[in-house]
Amino acid sequence: MIQAVRLSKRYGRTTAVDDLSFEVRPGLVTGFLGPNGSGKSTTMRMIMGLDRPDAGHVTLDGRPFHELPWPLREVGALLEAKAVHPGRSARNHLVSLAQTNAIPTTRVDEVLDQVGLTSVADKRVGKFSLGMSQRLGIASALLGDPEVLLFDEPINGLDPEGILWVRNLLKGLAGEGRTIFVSSHLMSEMALTATDLVVIGRGRLIADTTVSEFISSNTVATVLVRSPEEDRLADALERELGPGTVRRGEAGGLLVTGATAARIGDLAHQRSIALHELSLQQASLEEVFMDLTSEAVDYHGTSSVETSPVGSVG
Amino acid sequence: MTIAVTEPAFPSTREGRAGLRLSILSEWTKARSVRSTWISLLVIVVAGMGLSALVSNIEAGRWASLGVVDRAQFDPVRFSQTGEFISQFVVGVLGALVVTSEYATGSIRTTLATVPRRTTVLAAKGVVIAAVIFVVTEVTAFASFFIGQAVLSAHGGRTLPSGSSIVTQVTSSSIPVIGITHPGAARAVFLCGIYLTLLTLLAFGFGFILRHTAGAISSFVGVLLVLPLIVQVLPSSIADPIEKFLPSNLGLAMIVVTTRKTDFAGVLMTPWMAAATLLGYTAVVVALGVWVLARRDA
Repeated sequence: MIQAVRLSKRYGRTTAVDDLSFEVRPGLVTGFLGPNGSGKSTTMRMIMGLDRPDAGHVTLDGRPFHELPWPLREVGALLEAKAVHPGRSARNHLVSLAQTNAIPTTRVDEVLDQVGLTSVADKRVGKFSLGMSQRLGIASALLGDPEVLLFDEPINGLDPEGILWVRNLLKGLAGEGRTIFVSSHLMSEMALTATDLVVIGRGRLIADTTVSEFISSNTVATVLVRSPEEDRLADALERELGPGTVRRGEAGGLLVTGATAARIGDLAHQRSIALHELSLQQASLEEVFMDLTSEAVDYHGTSSVETSPVGSVG
Repeated sequence: MTIAVTEPAFPSTREGRAGLRLSILSEWTKARSVRSTWISLLVIVVAGMGLSALVSNIEAGRWASLGVVDRAQFDPVRFSQTGEFISQFVVGVLGALVVTSEYATGSIRTTLATVPRRTTVLAAKGVVIAAVIFVVTEVTAFASFFIGQAVLSAHGGRTLPSGSSIVTQVTSSSIPVIGITHPGAARAVFLCGIYLTLLTLLAFGFGFILRHTAGAISSFVGVLLVLPLIVQVLPSSIADPIEKFLPSNLGLAMIVVTTRKTDFAGVLMTPWMAAATLLGYTAVVVALGVWVLARRDA
């Protein structure tokens, strides 16, 4: 269980985290979502006692980090994958960590095996790919067999097989009753991995909910209609449903909100307008997320976001 | 609210906490598992013994042509410790890197997340690097001493009687060789290791204060090399009283045996006073490092 209470953190004039409160419950994977620069890493560093909050506090199973007698056995964290001396071997890196918390060396071999690095355990970490470094970071988080685990963008640099492995690992750890808090800027990944969601933008809490609730409560059903008489249909629909309910789709057709597909079909039929397509468009998590955080994004790109079906890997 | 579903992977939550003893063990593992440590230590040993032989050889050749003043400054112990000039930069780099390499990679955050108290990490790192440097520099210093005296003897040098005065040395016809029991000899050799160990901790302190390799090493070199140059160009009314407080001159004061009057650094402090002064500098810098570590975000 992680409890953040009214956390705030400023760096000079920039407010990185602003009055942020949330709870991360055991037994579930909780996604921590936000655009890049929204304060996710800062929050994770505050949980780990590395950055001191300017206001508020955060506890792990009721205690602040500095009151944990054996930190590695109680909370494991992957904060930065490349945060290892490049000249040291993976095994020696893990042994040095294990020694601080009186964790037996046999456990080092266990976690190396678990993350699939046994064959390269004695190689210098500097030669590792980003994916291998991520696995080593995950191994160090698992080392103390902790009840609480934090992962900051764990799938960065992993291949599809690695992503699937992380997904199953996180779910497995949650299934054992552990508290799993995993950050990502990829909404679609969270849809596949997380049960609960903490969404932030510009350091502020945007949503603290479950993934399914988050989608349903933030999604407006859109219907795509194609017709040889699109202009006449658009006029008719707008008259019936109100202004602003009909948009031209980027790939042609009309995007209609505020009516079910059946009602649109009926309206077209009454006016004898032929339809070539009539389909319900589910907004993807990505879109919901973009809509919600668009005001809270610091750095806007110029290209617009393509609509993608629910469940695709973004 | 913890739900324990699985058996822990190993016997868990023992008494006590992740403290200094375990962190020292961990830092020792880190120190010996990177190549740079071994290369640095090798440089200290080779430079120490090699330069002792080389310089003693050169100085032995000059003895016959030296005047009275130069003969009084002929210091067989100091010649044997010439490697210290190179080693001081090696230990400086090593002391700084132990800290700043972790800041450079970000692994300092991984390290700090292993203990409830941050200062445990600083103490453990300090103990390990100081202990390693102390052992290696002491062994090197004594070995260099004996090598240097052996070289002088090979040139026809004669061991001065223990307790003999500087007059004996100046008037002696043969090259003076100093035995380890000669007053001040063992002290000088021992303090050479102490000097290098304190410098290691000085650079180590700079590392925690500045967190950047370049910054920490520059500061260290600045204190050791640049500061004396600045003092040299000052008018002697200002320079003379502060010269003996320069870290490099404190080092010299710790390892001279024959005379404390030098033509380049004025009158040096007494050896133990110099050691205490350098210890004071080091303590201040390390204390600042502790303060920065405890206060600033990691």
